[in-house]
Amino acid sequence: MERILEDLVGRSSDWLEARYQERRSLTLSVRNGHFEQCSSVRTRGVGLRALAASAFGFASTTDLSKRGLADAARAAGKLAAAAAAETHRPPVRLAPVPPARGVFRVQTADPVDAHSLEEKIELVLHLDARARRASARITASSVTYSETCEDRILATTEGTLVRVIDAKPSLRILAVAASHGEQAMGVQTAGVSGGWSELANARSPEALVDEAVRVAVDQLSAPHAPGGVATVVLDPELVGTLCHEAIGHTVEADIVLGGAVTAGRLGTRVASDLVTMVDSGLPPSGPYVVGWLPIDDEGTPATRTALIERGILRSYLHNRETASHFGAAPTGNARAFLYSDEPIIRMTNTYIERGETPVDEMLAGIESGYYLRGFAMSGQADSSAEFMFGVREATRIERGRSAGLVKGITISGNAFDVLQSVDAVGNDFAWENGAGFCGKGQPAKVDAGGPHLRCRITLGGLQP
Amino acid sequence: MSDHAWLEMCLEGCAAARAAGATEAEVFAQHAVETSVTIEKGDLQLARSSTESTFGVRALVGDQLGFASTNAASDLAAACRDAVILARSAPGDPHNRLPEPRRAEPVAGLDDPNWEEFTAADAVRCAVEMLRVSAAFDKRVIVGDAGVSSVRLTRAIANTRGAAAAETVSLFSHHILVTAREDERVSSMDFQYGASRRAREIDVAPTVILACRNAVDSLGTGKGRTFRGVVILSPSAALEILVSPLLFQVNARNVLRGLSRWDGSLGAEIAAPTVSVADDGTAPGGIASSSFDREGTPRAPLTLIERGRLASFLHNAYSSSASTAPNTGHAAGPASSPPMIGPTNLTFAPGAPSLEEQIADTELGLLVGRFSGNVDPISGDFSGVAKAAHLVQRGRRAAVSETLVAGNVFDALRAVLDTSSDVQRIFGFALPYVRLDGISVTAG
Repeated sequence: MERILEDLVGRSSDWLEARYQERRSLTLSVRNGHFEQCSSVRTRGVGLRALAASAFGFASTTDLSKRGLADAARAAGKLAAAAAAETHRPPVRLAPVPPARGVFRVQTADPVDAHSLEEKIELVLHLDARARRASARITASSVTYSETCEDRILATTEGTLVRVIDAKPSLRILAVAASHGEQAMGVQTAGVSGGWSELANARSPEALVDEAVRVAVDQLSAPHAPGGVATVVLDPELVGTLCHEAIGHTVEADIVLGGAVTAGRLGTRVASDLVTMVDSGLPPSGPYVVGWLPIDDEGTPATRTALIERGILRSYLHNRETASHFGAAPTGNARAFLYSDEPIIRMTNTYIERGETPVDEMLAGIESGYYLRGFAMSGQADSSAEFMFGVREATRIERGRSAGLVKGITISGNAFDVLQSVDAVGNDFAWENGAGFCGKGQPAKVDAGGPHLRCRITLGGLQP
Repeated sequence: MSDHAWLEMCLEGCAAARAAGATEAEVFAQHAVETSVTIEKGDLQLARSSTESTFGVRALVGDQLGFASTNAASDLAAACRDAVILARSAPGDPHNRLPEPRRAEPVAGLDDPNWEEFTAADAVRCAVEMLRVSAAFDKRVIVGDAGVSSVRLTRAIANTRGAAAAETVSLFSHHILVTAREDERVSSMDFQYGASRRAREIDVAPTVILACRNAVDSLGTGKGRTFRGVVILSPSAALEILVSPLLFQVNARNVLRGLSRWDGSLGAEIAAPTVSVADDGTAPGGIASSSFDREGTPRAPLTLIERGRLASFLHNAYSSSASTAPNTGHAAGPASSPPMIGPTNLTFAPGAPSLEEQIADTELGLLVGRFSGNVDPISGDFSGVAKAAHLVQRGRRAAVSETLVAGNVFDALRAVLDTSSDVQRIFGFALPYVRLDGISVTAG
């Protein structure tokens, strides 16, 4: 396939990008002891992107014959011409990147393929049974194991020819507790770029189950919190969510050009000087991180992009087109989920770098506030940096000590106002290790994380 | 290829699964031809086309079930074998079964016979019109993302019990995501979507104008008030806060999973008498209409809530068998995943007062244009930010920002005061403004 694609783009007189993707995934799901899903999905195809002066054209095909690919390349060229005929903007320019060559493989000492289907089924059955045994209050449980293996090849008329071989297994645990007509749930996830043992090492599967059960049971007896503005400590999962959802999307250059609040603010203070926020496809602290991306889908190698450096907004996330527009270097963030998707600007692994304050010290310094842990898998953020996230678990803090759990908390506000209020950054660090996806028209596997942060934030709660 | 040809491939797949050792098998095929144009950064960005066929195979070996999917017709036989291999490894379940064959009547108005006349150039012209309308509305509006799409979709299904059905539909849709910006002030984002089954019914202007108006209205808003009381949910907010958890609760699979608190509540009062909800997958020309569901079972109208009383759950073949209830024909999902359960065209019944009459009748309340928040479908707790919100005082409204709303869905359904006569269509949903009491409102 590498030779076929290289030959295809080599015969094109205009700019052309060809991307082959073969993808297979396995999903095993158990609920309440009943096996719900044992499924396998395979896709393969080629996406072709052409450029005609001021617009792109894109066509995808599953016909992998030379003729089928040539037809799709012609269709992409015609579509680009049709769009270019109706637009008045100047020709698209692409920031230069050196032609990339080579094969990039995800690191693993224990590939998922080396483990049998029966072993994987046994794992989900075992974990589901453990959840239902853990407490008499657990009324429902589910465990889902997923793995996705990909082989991508990119060839361009500029001489790039790269192959990326990736694998991403993940686990998702749900436990539902009930008592006196009240129901509450606990959710835990783990996901990696790697193999079977890397997934198990990210977080022990049994520990995931126990934590999901504990959260669900504890929430049953917790009172609702009142709304208002409070001093809080956010755990690494919420910090990662804030980085990705509330800040990260506002610095994606296509969103910036669409009117995001960060437009025109490079070089200005947007956060406390304790805050440095980074996006990188190859972060130094995690070879198995979910958003592993050694080279993007335009052939730009991964780099460390300091988005915020000591509180100052330093960079946006770019593809080659927006990098040229802003006079910047491409940052390796052009990504396509499937062969039938065109590359768009996406985050990879987005995080705040660790600081110096021990977490215990951060909590001890709160006169009255909350310790907030975990993203409740729901929420939204705007390009204005306004956000709202559900919080999975919250502890009220009075005079530096725990004053009991509360539930039903959401956090909201303007993410840059929150970052401006940061007065302590933890000396710890954790990845979210999520099993989910970021959505922006097409999904993407990403990770996010950081240390604990102490800040001021608006809590949503109930009025008396 | 004709509908008949796709059906033939499904039948061949069933035979291949049988030959591989399946006792029963089902093959579902989807073939989609799509042309679309996207707008980014306020201008045309990309024109694209795709043609993709996807096959989903369910194989039963006794009561053990396996599923495999492929997007290559040449790999269909291999997918059938994979499904059988997976079934042999999976623990059994006596309710794993395929539906009995039932004849589905065609639903009118789902296909545009002139579909092929709508070209990429037409999609480009529609996108250009969206840009023109937004620019003419207000210079402060920024179009962040928009698009026009035409899809022709053929669905075919066959199983070894004798079910066999196929149909082709067309859908022309457009969407727009806008913000408004004035100096340093940036409005809330607003997203609107429009769709039709026929190319000549495409009308992008109302969609664009609504999005632009909502974005501009949320610029320069004032501070709200903190109280517990009346909230008027827009159709969009009602979809997020009320309808999404309601659909979770009436999903029979969630009942079987022990996740629905409405288990055993058929006929019981679960909402105020002002609440009636119905689903109809046979609505002529409906955005979510089709003649048969993801398992080949015919669609049929269904009342879910009748004047506050729970009337039915949504079922597919599995949940129907496990709960000994009739199969309502609500198997849902693409060919790339096993059948789930989902709604079709869902209507939250409108009431007598107009929105303006609801506002005039409110002493103190909050009109929520859009909800950005967290709704727990199990506990029913919701909390989030009211976007494009207006404080209502003595029948008059004023735009406010940074206002939080919180409450419980199950309490809220019992506290619905009335629904408006104004109805907005959002995807397959037809929803009124819903006025309810007892909601926590916190000024930011």
